[in-house]
Parts: sequence; structure tokens; C-alpha cells
Amino acid sequence: MKIIDIALKDITRSLRSAVALVFMFGIPLLVTGMFYFMFGSSSSQGQFNLPRTKVVIANMDRGGPRLQASSKSVPGGIKANTLSDLVVKVLQSEKMADLVDVSLVPDAVTARLAVDKRQAQVAIIIPANFSRQFADPYGQAVIEFYQDPTLTLGPGIVKSILNQFMDGLSGIKIVITVAQDQLQPKDYSLIGGIVQQYLETSMLQSENWAAELLDERAPGKLPKTTGSLERILGPIMGGMMIFFAFFTGTSCAQSILREEEEGTLPRLFTTPTSQSTILSGKFLAVFLTVSVQIVVMLIAGKLIFHINWGDLPSVACMAAGVVLVASSFGIFINSLLKDSKQGGMVFGGVLSFTGMVGMVRIFAMNAPGAANLGNTVSLFVPQGWAIRGILQTINGSVGIEVFINTLVVLAWSTAFFTIGVWRFNRRYI
Amino acid sequence: MKEKMINAIEVQNLHKSFGDIKAVQGVSFNVNQGEIFSLLGPNGAGKTTTISMLCCLLRPDEGDALIMGHSIRKDPNRVKAVLGVVPQDIALYEDLTARENLTFWGKMYGLRGSTLKARVIEVLEIIGLSDRANDRVGKFSGGMKRRVNIGVALLHKPQVIYMDEPTVGIDPQSRRSILDSVVDLKNHGMTVLYTTHYMEEAQELSNHIAIMDHGEMIACGTHQELVRIVGQMDRITLTIGSSAANEESDDILRAWKAVDGVRQVTSDDGAISLLADDSNQVLPSIFEAAATNGVRITSVDIKEPNLETVFLHLTGRALRD
Repeated sequence: MKIIDIALKDITRSLRSAVALVFMFGIPLLVTGMFYFMFGSSSSQGQFNLPRTKVVIANMDRGGPRLQASSKSVPGGIKANTLSDLVVKVLQSEKMADLVDVSLVPDAVTARLAVDKRQAQVAIIIPANFSRQFADPYGQAVIEFYQDPTLTLGPGIVKSILNQFMDGLSGIKIVITVAQDQLQPKDYSLIGGIVQQYLETSMLQSENWAAELLDERAPGKLPKTTGSLERILGPIMGGMMIFFAFFTGTSCAQSILREEEEGTLPRLFTTPTSQSTILSGKFLAVFLTVSVQIVVMLIAGKLIFHINWGDLPSVACMAAGVVLVASSFGIFINSLLKDSKQGGMVFGGVLSFTGMVGMVRIFAMNAPGAANLGNTVSLFVPQGWAIRGILQTINGSVGIEVFINTLVVLAWSTAFFTIGVWRFNRRYI
Repeated sequence: MKEKMINAIEVQNLHKSFGDIKAVQGVSFNVNQGEIFSLLGPNGAGKTTTISMLCCLLRPDEGDALIMGHSIRKDPNRVKAVLGVVPQDIALYEDLTARENLTFWGKMYGLRGSTLKARVIEVLEIIGLSDRANDRVGKFSGGMKRRVNIGVALLHKPQVIYMDEPTVGIDPQSRRSILDSVVDLKNHGMTVLYTTHYMEEAQELSNHIAIMDHGEMIACGTHQELVRIVGQMDRITLTIGSSAANEESDDILRAWKAVDGVRQVTSDDGAISLLADDSNQVLPSIFEAAATNGVRITSVDIKEPNLETVFLHLTGRALRD
């Protein structure tokens, strides 16, 4: 009973500290809120609203061998006379209407000028020999992509669409080249048939072609209720929550040192309460305070930012892991300190450093080149494993994957707790 | 027939060292039930270390103590249950209210439910803070905090209460209030072990006084018994001109020591203390020696024998902060 009394006293003190409240709830919510307002708003029902990118197209293609694509072979049943027509009509299609605003200009100079004058963000210039070069097995069909260098997101999306489209066409070209090499004398009618067959089985024929062109429109691996904005906010808020949970754990555990300096801990030792009971109460306070923080943050994330943390058992598993590892890490770190004055260095140094290393996983998430390295580096610190756990639940992982991660987090917790308790026992008991 | 006094505290040959520093060396004393016993000594004398051993915070290297018959070595939990401790520094939770502090500490002493609630109200009345019960302790004045600090030790109605220099650094009014409350505790049958380096406090409050210096107990008894150690000697404190104090102090000290009737001469920070059999008799010779040595006396203070005189007599040093 006395253990609970001590724990409740400590929690009351923590929750009365403005600084503690800011670190526990204020900053994580504020940072997530900043991203929320940066990428969307509550009025958009959590959808990721990007402004339409203005694209001007100068299509100077004079055509080549007759395009033998039937309307059913191209996206949305678009009819096109030349290959460049196909490019233009794909970008002008209804499915692209909420992403790009396409207008046609007569020549390359006008197109570039529109970008220079910021009337458009991207100019696509299709040269006169585009179709002919495409049809020539040894020719190179090149589209010029001219963009406002100060912009990244909108032009990036257009470029991505174009690249995927051109990748598809490259496949067609390979088909044509192989067919020309194999068929003697050249049987263009047969080649046309092969191309058509290729088109019918290729990505371009897919019903979800637009979704495949732009990943943001296809949250295939994610729970259906998760929108793009939540996919950004989930990891950010999860990362912030864990980053500051470790601060809370350390700050709460520091109350042992503070009480020693304030004289209340020695006074507690003069009461008929055993030292082990007193320390257990202090440890319980750390676990309960971090638990309150995690539960409040999970609920706030769900209610305010509509974050789907994952299925309940996995989230509970992950949350328990975070509470245990953040609390035991705090107890461990404080057991190494001589007094609370050294705490400033720990707060500024160790926690910030390990926290940032742990969050490398989130920072590198959308950078394919750095993701693997980031994931590996983050696993050197307990925060990295906790963040791995939260990303697993957000991504809808269940069962053994979450279980294994939780086991590793528990192993970290056990190691920290054992060392921390041993050192505190040596000090006081 | 006189009722036999029972010892509330029996201290037997306590020793405690911290590395090479011998903080307490062979301290023994007994405290009768219902009396105020003061440990008097300068800072670093070993008073707090002795108290810390008696309230089971420190384990003695040697020796033992019985508190209401319970050994501090063998039965620390029973000792703690009969003890109330008022530490030297205020040991309270400043972000909790006075009531919350008392309630929490009451629970630590094993009080629960309605007993705890009633006792908290009683203690708030005793310390005169009923009207501020729901204010955070952090907003209290130093004196009010001291009162809550004492209140915590009273919650479980202890048989013995330790008060470790409870009047350090507070205003005269609060000091007076605390001294009155100590007497009040005694009148309610509590045994009080009081440490202080203020001679007047020990003199005013105590039934018995033990004087400590350098970890040893150098004298113990009632005020009268202690004063009797120095007999009827007066303490004369002289202040001399600053130039003389610097240049010729050794000569004048030797000259005064040679005066018939002067028992002891000590110098401390420009103030010179003399123990003399009769101040009226020795003063003319003292002034004469000063004139002969070219020393100008700027002030003279004569005091009847007191604990300060005893400490000076026993240690050769003044009892100072």
C-alpha cells in the first residue's frame, strides 16, 4: 500500500509541474500539429491535399509509323494518333485532373517562357521526331522536362508520372526491336499485333494504372481507413511520443536524486517504511507516469489527428514495451548519476543523442538510399526498437513480427532495470 | 517515595567514521522519559551524525543505542515507529499542500483512514496552519515551513522526538514559536532530543545538556552541573585596537595570562576571552598590563559563568556559529 502511496505522490508532483506537462504532452502534440497544418487540415478529413501542378506541353511531334494501339489498350480508352498524343492525353485524362493542370502551347520557346514567367511549374517539350525515333530500333525518343528549379513536390510528381509512363513505352520499344530482329522480311502487321498484345498485358492496361503511377494514391499495404496525411503524422507523432517518453522516464526517475538532495528521501528512511518499499514506490511512479503519457498521446493522436495506430492488441503490446523501456532507461541513467545537477548534461546530451539516433528510422523512411542504413543505425539504441514497434503497428503488422520486437524491447528494459535497481540498492539499502 | 526515572534513550559507546574522519567517537548518554536533552556543540562536532545513527539512517561502526528499549542495530523498524524526526533542513514536498504533505507522511508512519484524517486536522491546529492547510508549502514563509516540518514528526504521536537544529536560519519570531512548541511537547510527555549550537537555546530548554566537540562528548549534565565545572569564574571579553591586535597580540596575551586571578586567555578573530576568578579584582591589572604594552582596550564585556564559559574552559575555543 505504501508503494502505491509513494507512486501516487510522485505522479501528483509530476502532473503539477508545468515543465513536465510541456515535455510530456505539449511538445509532441505541438510538433505533430505543425506537420498536420503543414500538410493538411482538419477540414479536409485527413486527405492529403496537394495543389495542382500547372504543366504546359509543346507537342511538336510529326508522327511516325501508324500507331496501332486500340482504344482498349491505352489508359482510360484514350484514342491517340501518335505516341506524343498518348503522352498528352494521359496527362490530360480525368484521373490526373486533381494533380495536373495541362495546357498546350505551340512551341518549345513558349513552353519554357511559361515556366520562366512562373505561369507554369513544368514544361514538357516533345520533339518533332519523337514518334519516329521511338519506332527506330536504334533511335532515342527523348522528351524534354523543363521545370521551375525552386519547386520540388509538384514537378516531382509530374516527373514520376512521366517516368512510369515512359518505362511502359520502353517495354513496347523492346518488343518492337525484338520483333523486327526476328521477323524477316519485316512484317509490320505482325509487329503491330505483338505490340498490342504487350500493351494488353502491360501496366498500361491495368485498371489501376493511375494508382500505380502515383504511390500516394495507392495506400495498398495500409489499412483502408488510413489517409496520406495520417501516414505522415503517425510516424512523426509516434517518434515524438517515444522521444519524449524517454525524457519523462528519466525526469521522473531523477526525483530519487532530487529527493535525496531535498532531504525528503532521508526523511522517508526515518519512517517505519523499508528502503526497498520506498524505492519500489519511486520506480512504480516512473512506470505509471510514462504510462499516463503514452495512453494520453495515443488517444490524442487518434482523436485530434485521426492516426490509426493499428489493431488494439498490437498497439497495447507496443505501448507496454515503450512504457517499460522508457521507464527502465530513466532508472538506469539516473542510477549512474551522482546528483541531479548532472541531470542537465544527461537531458541535453545522452537523451537527445540516443533519441535522434532512434528517430533516424523515421527521418530516412522516405529516402530509399538511406532507409536501410537508418534502420540499422537506429537499432543501436532502445528508442530505435520502440520506434520500430510503433511503425510496425501503424503499418498494420500483427502477430509474430510485433511480438519479436516487443521481446527485444523487453530485453532492453530488463537489462536497464536490473542495472538501475542494483545500483540504487547499493546506494541506499 | 521518588518515582524511578525510565530511560527513553540509552546511548552506549557509539562510533562512526567516514574514511579517515572520526565523526563520532565513543559517545554515551542516557535520556530520561519526558525530558528535553540537548546536544550542544559547534558545527562539525558530530551532533547530526549521532542523531543520524539514533534514527537508523546511519549504522554505527561500534556501539548501540536503545530507543524506548528497542535496539537501533537489531530492531530499527520498531525504533522508527516510536520516533519522530525533525531534520535540520526542511524536508517537505513544496509542490504539495500542507494537508497533502501531512497526509502523505502520516501514511508513511502507518496511519490510515479516519485516524489519519483526524490526526492531520489535529496537527494542523497544533502548528497553527489550519487556515493555510490547502496552500502549497512552496508558498509558505520559512517559519511556516519549519512548523510543517515539525508537524510531520508529530503525526504518529511519537514517544521520542529528535529535533536537529530546528531554529537555524529563521527569524526571531519563528524561533520563539518553535522553542515554545518544544516545551509544549515536553509538557505532553514526549522525550525530546534536541541538537543546537546556540548555547541560549540549550540553556533555556534542557533538563540535561551534553556538550560535543570533534566527535566526542566532553561534558554532560544539567545546566547547573556544567556551570559548576568552571566554578564561579567570570568570562571577560576584550576588544583591542586593530594595530595592537596585529602587532603585539602575543605579548599582551602573555602579560594578561600572568595576571593573578586570570585562569585562561584565548584569542579569536580580534576578540580576546579571559576566564577569571573575579572580574572586579583582575580588571585593574588587565588595564595596567595593556597600558604597559601600549595596547588600547576598546571594549570590555563581563559575563557570569554559562555554557559558553564551560565550552571555552573545556576546549580553549569559543562556541561560535
